[in-house]
Amino acid sequence: MTADRFIHSIGGYLPSLRLARKSAVSALKWSGLGGVREGYRAVAGWDEDPMTMAVEAARTMTRELEAESLIFASTSAYFTERAQSGLMVDALGLKRDTRSLDVAGSRRCATTALLQALDGTKPAIVAAADARATKPGSAHQLLFGDGAAAIGVGDNGGARYLGSHSTTHDFIDFYATRDHPTPYGYEERFIRETAVDAILLPTIQAACEAAGVAAAEIAYAAVAEPLTGIYPALARKLGLKASNLASDLFAQAGDLGAAHASFALGLAFAKAAPGDIVLLAGFGSGCDALLFEVTGTVLGAAQMAVALAQGSALTDYVRFLNLSGGLDLAWGMRAEFEQKAQATVIERHGRDIIGFVGGRDSTGNVQFPKSRIPVNPALSVPETLEDVRLAEEIGQVVSVTADRLNYTPDPPFYFGLVQFDNGARVMVEFTDCPASGLAVGDRVRMRLRIKSLDRRRGFRTYFWKAAPFERPTLEKQ
Amino acid sequence: MMATGIRDRVAIIGMGCTPFGEHWNKGPEDLMVEAFEEAVADAGIERLAIDAAWVGNALDDINVGNSALPLAHALRLRCIPVTRVENMCATGTEALRAATYAVAAGAVDIALALGVEKLKDTGYGGLPLKTKGLTNDLWMPYGSAPGTFAQLAGAYSARHALKAEDLKRAMAHVSWKSHQNGALNPKAHLRKPIAMDAILNAPLIADPLGLFDCCGVSDGAACAIVTTPDIARGLGKSDIVTVKAIQLSASNGWETQFSAWDGSYVRNTREAARRAYDEAGISDPRAELSLTEVHDCFSITELVTMEDLGLAADGRAPFDILDGAFDRDGTLPCQIDGGLKCFGHPVGASGLRMAYEIYSQLLDRGGERQRQDVRLGLTHNLGGAPFNSVAAVSILGRLN
Repeated sequence: MTADRFIHSIGGYLPSLRLARKSAVSALKWSGLGGVREGYRAVAGWDEDPMTMAVEAARTMTRELEAESLIFASTSAYFTERAQSGLMVDALGLKRDTRSLDVAGSRRCATTALLQALDGTKPAIVAAADARATKPGSAHQLLFGDGAAAIGVGDNGGARYLGSHSTTHDFIDFYATRDHPTPYGYEERFIRETAVDAILLPTIQAACEAAGVAAAEIAYAAVAEPLTGIYPALARKLGLKASNLASDLFAQAGDLGAAHASFALGLAFAKAAPGDIVLLAGFGSGCDALLFEVTGTVLGAAQMAVALAQGSALTDYVRFLNLSGGLDLAWGMRAEFEQKAQATVIERHGRDIIGFVGGRDSTGNVQFPKSRIPVNPALSVPETLEDVRLAEEIGQVVSVTADRLNYTPDPPFYFGLVQFDNGARVMVEFTDCPASGLAVGDRVRMRLRIKSLDRRRGFRTYFWKAAPFERPTLEKQ
Repeated sequence: MMATGIRDRVAIIGMGCTPFGEHWNKGPEDLMVEAFEEAVADAGIERLAIDAAWVGNALDDINVGNSALPLAHALRLRCIPVTRVENMCATGTEALRAATYAVAAGAVDIALALGVEKLKDTGYGGLPLKTKGLTNDLWMPYGSAPGTFAQLAGAYSARHALKAEDLKRAMAHVSWKSHQNGALNPKAHLRKPIAMDAILNAPLIADPLGLFDCCGVSDGAACAIVTTPDIARGLGKSDIVTVKAIQLSASNGWETQFSAWDGSYVRNTREAARRAYDEAGISDPRAELSLTEVHDCFSITELVTMEDLGLAADGRAPFDILDGAFDRDGTLPCQIDGGLKCFGHPVGASGLRMAYEIYSQLLDRGGERQRQDVRLGLTHNLGGAPFNSVAAVSILGRLN
């Protein structure tokens, strides 16, 4: 008998902006297009992608869990050759001898990766994220949301893994291809009936059997639904009494793709008490169903429930289209600025840049970036600086402006000087700024974001930006 | 042995300056030739008497190209040493510094400094964005010029507990005053007085800088011919303008990487000014200077520069500005020619354009805007951003 495996910790991330779906439906009213009008859809900022969101979801757990492997799961990852998990290892400050893997193929990839981690013997992180492109006016545009969830697995934690079952079924509720990158969906009635009866129901039943759990004993569910509203029918047929946290997540943020079930699992853990049984089901080209028994507190779960309730309502459909790639606006010649990065430079400095690693000099002063001769006026000869990670530091605004001349895909461009308590300071871009802007003295936290986009060569670079320390509470819709 | 400086060791014997503006029909070659022809006529020398030349242009990719060659070709110089210099907005003053040092060193008898920039071939308003180097580009923000200088405002307000609207009014006065002056200058680009209300209510470019808080963008060239006072006398010059000081100071990362600076002032201006006053033998700049031409790329820059140059007490610049101390009829006029505000800022030319005005005022050639009894004038350039800058301060005066 192998040792019990546990969910050690869990983390989630949603972008600050939430499109009020009714705004989109109202903008599209003339066309009869749109779809679901209640609730919100989380919208990645122009500088966010699945990798940056996955880092945000995973960053809290790396302090507590010495992961030996990292899996990144997404169906919308930017790089097809250059592992997102490789970037994450550097961004999270993990050791270079961490085993890393990107998985994709269907939105179920995250739960399958989680099973792989649970079946293993070493501490591991599975980080899932999606920011899927959709066509303006399509139902998917308002069904989908952008976000991430990460799960830390180990030999201890707050939820014991009881068992699982997986099925493979080449079922096409929608597909996306290199030739058709946005979803192409099929009839809802076909999806509703086939997904429940042929895939979800038998898989979950088999998982319950494997775990020795009756469906009625399950306290909370995190079941990814291929269509909103199918869970009640599934629950009835299974004899499940548990509410589905994935439905709550859909209402407030949309279907997060690969991250959806994992994020919902965090919401379930936030509600659960020791002894509760929790069901996790990932869907896509089949199904993975997993059962857990809550044994204590799962680190990070409570913060996920808080994160779901925070954000800024976005009611401008055109701004949403601009952010989500549905519109290609003419930004003028300033947007033609070349931002070509070089692999040799990234080889020399990339790990320190994406990991936000500065240096401590022999007097104790911390600076960013590191330099041969420290910036400290008390020192004047070269010395070796000790690595200091700044990503988790809280900063204070020294100077800031909302620059309306500089090109940015989502104006205005906020930038300025941020001071950290440990002595380091850095000129940075600000992100997630409220319309009222930022002021000298405001507290900020650092977020990994896209620094530059090289559209001509299909490349992007990443660096940390300062965001307001607190997010506003989202009005419930 | 301590360096003795260059005070009165170099004379300016001729200067030229093109009208600044949107010269759709003139290229850099036209501008260089026009500025040079005025200077060489003013100097009264044979053009072949020039022993060495320095050309300043900051943005070679949209100008004439790199190196000495554009100037050598434009002026058909005869195989003399020619060097291109670039130091952001201090480029023009950097060219003058190089020519001045060459004469002061005794390496040459007569040297030329010429600054030129042809910005209106960018195809859009404002300064073009440049890469900051491949490593820096991985993390440094690419802000616009108004974005970088706008940050002085919030930090200044915070340091001096000054309300944002009070600072905005003082900034507006800076622009209002320069537009008043520029209206009198036939070489200025913008020659219309602007009402205070229009300045205060203009659209924001980078908070809190509005459109009229920003200088124009233009094409232009300016140049100086320098030699020794002895040679100047030998050329029959009796009213001789000399260089009293030229000093530079460059950031080393202290502002942005070491936690001492509060963002409300420009350290390099203070350093360069302190050394320039020493070199020129000035102990009380407020009393001794007759006028200043400072780097008013943005109104807030001029405001903090008044304090950085020691011309206003700490925290008092907004009040002195509103009292009219730096107006044309004030105690120490600033930008009597209209400044960057009305000339625009063809980067490589601006430092020499400022020197041209001081030189003209020293020689009573200021026309309608001539100030009485001009003895010493100061020019100031600030390249880069307040947090990462090169500052240049030069002081010109009469030889006596």
